Amino acid sequence: MARAGRSGGAIAFTAAFVLILGEISQVGFAADRTRKDDSPKSTTANGPRAQLIANLIDRQIDAQLVRDKVTPAGRADDGEFLRRVYLDLTGVIPPVEKVAGFLASTDPNKRSKVIDELVASPKFGEHLADQWENLLMLRDSTNKRLKSQPFYDWLAERFNKNQRWDEMVRDLLTVTGTQEENGAATFYIALRTPEKLTDQVTRLFMGVQLQCAQCHDHPFASWKRDDYWSTAAFFSKVRAGGKKVGIAKNGVESVNEDGLGKKAPDPDSALKLAPKFLGGDRPTIKRNEPYRPVLAAWLTTRANPFFAKAMVNRTWSQFFGRGLVNPVDNVSDSSDKSHPELFDQLAMEFAENGFDLKMLIRGICYSNAYQRASGSSAAGDHANYARMAVKPLTPEQLYDSLATVLGTLREGRERKGGKKAEVTFSRAKFIEFFDVPDGADTTEYTTGIPQVLQLMNSSPMNRNAKIVDELIDAKLPPEQGVERLYFATLSRRPSQAEMAKLRAFLKSEPQNLRAAYIDILWVLLNSSEFALNH
Amino acid sequence: MAGSRSDWENSRRDFLRAGVAGASLVSLSGWLDVLAANAAETKTKPRKSCILLWMEGGPSHKDTFDLKPGTKDAGEFKPIATTVQGLEISEHLPKLAKQMQHAAVIRSMSTSQGAHGPARYYMHTGYREGSGGLAHPSIGSLVSAELGKADFPVPNFVSVGGKAAFGAGFLGVRHQPLIVEDPSKGVESLSAPLGSSRFDRRIGLLNQLENGLLRTSRTDVGVDHNSTYRRTIALMRSKEAQAFDISRENAAMRGAYGETDFGKGCLMARRLVEIGVPFVEVFLGGWDTHKDNFPRVKTLSGQMDGAISTLLSDLKSRGLLDSTLVIWMGEFGRTPKITSNAGTAGRNHYPRAWTSVMFGGGIKGGQVIGKTDKEGAEVVERPVSGIDFLATVCSILGVDYTKENQTAIGRPIRIVEKGAKPIAELLA
Repeated sequence: MARAGRSGGAIAFTAAFVLILGEISQVGFAADRTRKDDSPKSTTANGPRAQLIANLIDRQIDAQLVRDKVTPAGRADDGEFLRRVYLDLTGVIPPVEKVAGFLASTDPNKRSKVIDELVASPKFGEHLADQWENLLMLRDSTNKRLKSQPFYDWLAERFNKNQRWDEMVRDLLTVTGTQEENGAATFYIALRTPEKLTDQVTRLFMGVQLQCAQCHDHPFASWKRDDYWSTAAFFSKVRAGGKKVGIAKNGVESVNEDGLGKKAPDPDSALKLAPKFLGGDRPTIKRNEPYRPVLAAWLTTRANPFFAKAMVNRTWSQFFGRGLVNPVDNVSDSSDKSHPELFDQLAMEFAENGFDLKMLIRGICYSNAYQRASGSSAAGDHANYARMAVKPLTPEQLYDSLATVLGTLREGRERKGGKKAEVTFSRAKFIEFFDVPDGADTTEYTTGIPQVLQLMNSSPMNRNAKIVDELIDAKLPPEQGVERLYFATLSRRPSQAEMAKLRAFLKSEPQNLRAAYIDILWVLLNSSEFALNH
Repeated sequence: MAGSRSDWENSRRDFLRAGVAGASLVSLSGWLDVLAANAAETKTKPRKSCILLWMEGGPSHKDTFDLKPGTKDAGEFKPIATTVQGLEISEHLPKLAKQMQHAAVIRSMSTSQGAHGPARYYMHTGYREGSGGLAHPSIGSLVSAELGKADFPVPNFVSVGGKAAFGAGFLGVRHQPLIVEDPSKGVESLSAPLGSSRFDRRIGLLNQLENGLLRTSRTDVGVDHNSTYRRTIALMRSKEAQAFDISRENAAMRGAYGETDFGKGCLMARRLVEIGVPFVEVFLGGWDTHKDNFPRVKTLSGQMDGAISTLLSDLKSRGLLDSTLVIWMGEFGRTPKITSNAGTAGRNHYPRAWTSVMFGGGIKGGQVIGKTDKEGAEVVERPVSGIDFLATVCSILGVDYTKENQTAIGRPIRIVEKGAKPIAELLA
């Protein structure tokens, strides 16, 4: 397997790009190529390109399904599609009115319209910020009290304005200053050692799992301890320091490469080596020069195929529940590759067209592969994309979706200043309680007994909800009331069989319609269909 | 490596699903009736359990189990004799002194982590925090995975009185601790707030919908969801859930354990071990005595003296002491030197030489392992590292500490790292 950044890999990458160019130019990409260094354009102006990305995806995936003689599942119906695209793009299920409107609409372009609308909404960047804050921060005992809001805001703003991904990563890696001055400083304040920074940067931005090589030569890849510590050397000058050092006191720490602040002690396994690009050359850096900009420039260059691949694979997995290469952060060494050509082409498209994340995501969502039904298991494994993967809601998605239905989950009051808050079911507390281990498969169910107890028996799940008041006040016939509850929770109409069961349930307690509605709402919120993005 | 990962996942999943599939064979009316099927299963043979009494903050070894009378900075406390000849402990542990025949006092703990967070992580997992970019499972989760019963209604790892116990890490949610923050209140949300008949009605409807009507009830994750709900409802309806209700004990018993959170936690731990929970952790905080060392250690000693001595005699009288290992430990010891902090006497963090204690569990009791120098500053005999300690715990409980677990990416990680040597003198 070619190593990241080695010139051979880059040449192969370019050669492959020339091959694919022929194909792409036939469908109209050629004109755009000359402007490949421009910033990503506004999302609405580039509808056709997103469609071309979708076509690229479908061509490759469909070809393989034909080769493997697998019949794919049909198209997800409108309700399933709408709920999925809301959860994947904004992290929350759609509101009742949106469901009613979407199901009723006869506009043939309503799916691409809703995709574009959601990609342009502020929640798009917030949802990505939730995901990337989790990926980047690595919470542990040394940083658990560090506030993350500035980082979240920084990420959300940039995802929303669709900053080029290469630029965004360069800004992150070369940040200086305090959290107040620049939210990205949180990254270096949270990860205070060259080891943690090395693990994260190689994993997230190169798709290389280098962490094993910290203490010993990698057992099943070619990485050596020398590779690890000469990469870590790029972070040997960075410090998070200042007048008051110490996270516990929430002191004002400033990220710098000027030697201000205490250096973290090296572990026993450390090797003292000069900085060297992973699988590449040893750069000449003057003694007084900072190291990080050198690493950042090399890492994000278009000639480094692993930078684009790492992001394409990560983004793909956020939508399909698995990477085109697995494990998701092992792009360089893994042999588990389902669609190698598609992967190369998508990575090239991403790198050559301005590292435009919104464009990539719209292309994915436009594809037939993304819009397939999930339920029928007869259609085959989701690994070949014959059907959509079923993913449990993340803690963030679950909280926000419950709050959409119930109004609020919070109880009690939060004290000011972000200190310890006596709030049950605050968003942060809920997310911590439902936390999923790092690197867990997003298609695995990870909710346990303590969490289910909360979902069934805590008071926010058992009190009267506003939506029930509205049904009672509107004096809707029970069938319509039930339909509204389905819209609110499962984003679809109840089936005839379900309606029959629910009619019988309503009849069993005719004198108390409110209680019956509350019970039905509780049942829907505790159902597998609510808990899953399918 | 990808292969080993999916094998591991499949076996875990297949197990869960087998329970559900099996259920539909004996019952036509749905997944919740598996409850009845499970309840009818035969009892499995008793196995060992562990109660970890976690002394949060790092207790001063020189003021509890390794006193140095007549030396510089010996402190204010006097040693007293115990039931074991030659073994003396603090005068503020008089009831425990009468139980020391069950104890092995390890006076030669020696580690290198001197900050609370990393030291707690190390002593719970045996690994340096952040090493290999992994979240390592805590000893409670490891024991849950090795000794826990998969069909048991109560989670196999319960943590009482602490908020920040280390969890299952890469072992996954099935081995996450069930956290009981306040032992007086029991498990949060364990009962249905609107009453059991309303709850049963709701579950009846949920059951009807999950029985093939919902779009997800036949998917793999949907089955996992239903399986977790089934286990949770089983816990709510089980008689084992009563183990979390310490008000069922009589006043004399509650009084003997003490009306403190720690005393109540120890009582709950006994009730949990009694029904077969293999690992319970009980927290006693307040040991970070940079200030007011002596009055605070005296108060804490009083709390633990009554609670632990009652726990030991209670386990003994129920025939459970030989099968229950009770561990007393914190993240490190405290400085041999007395420092002055805001005008009071204090001791600071000290991982180089400190003490932990084990009771019961079938170990050879009534002995002291290792030795420190005359000021309790250096280990002079038989140093015991964190991994030696955890390997000893595993060996006592019958867990193969050399076994490899798989992380999410298929990396093999040993239960206890290479180089660990269990304390042979303890093993009966």
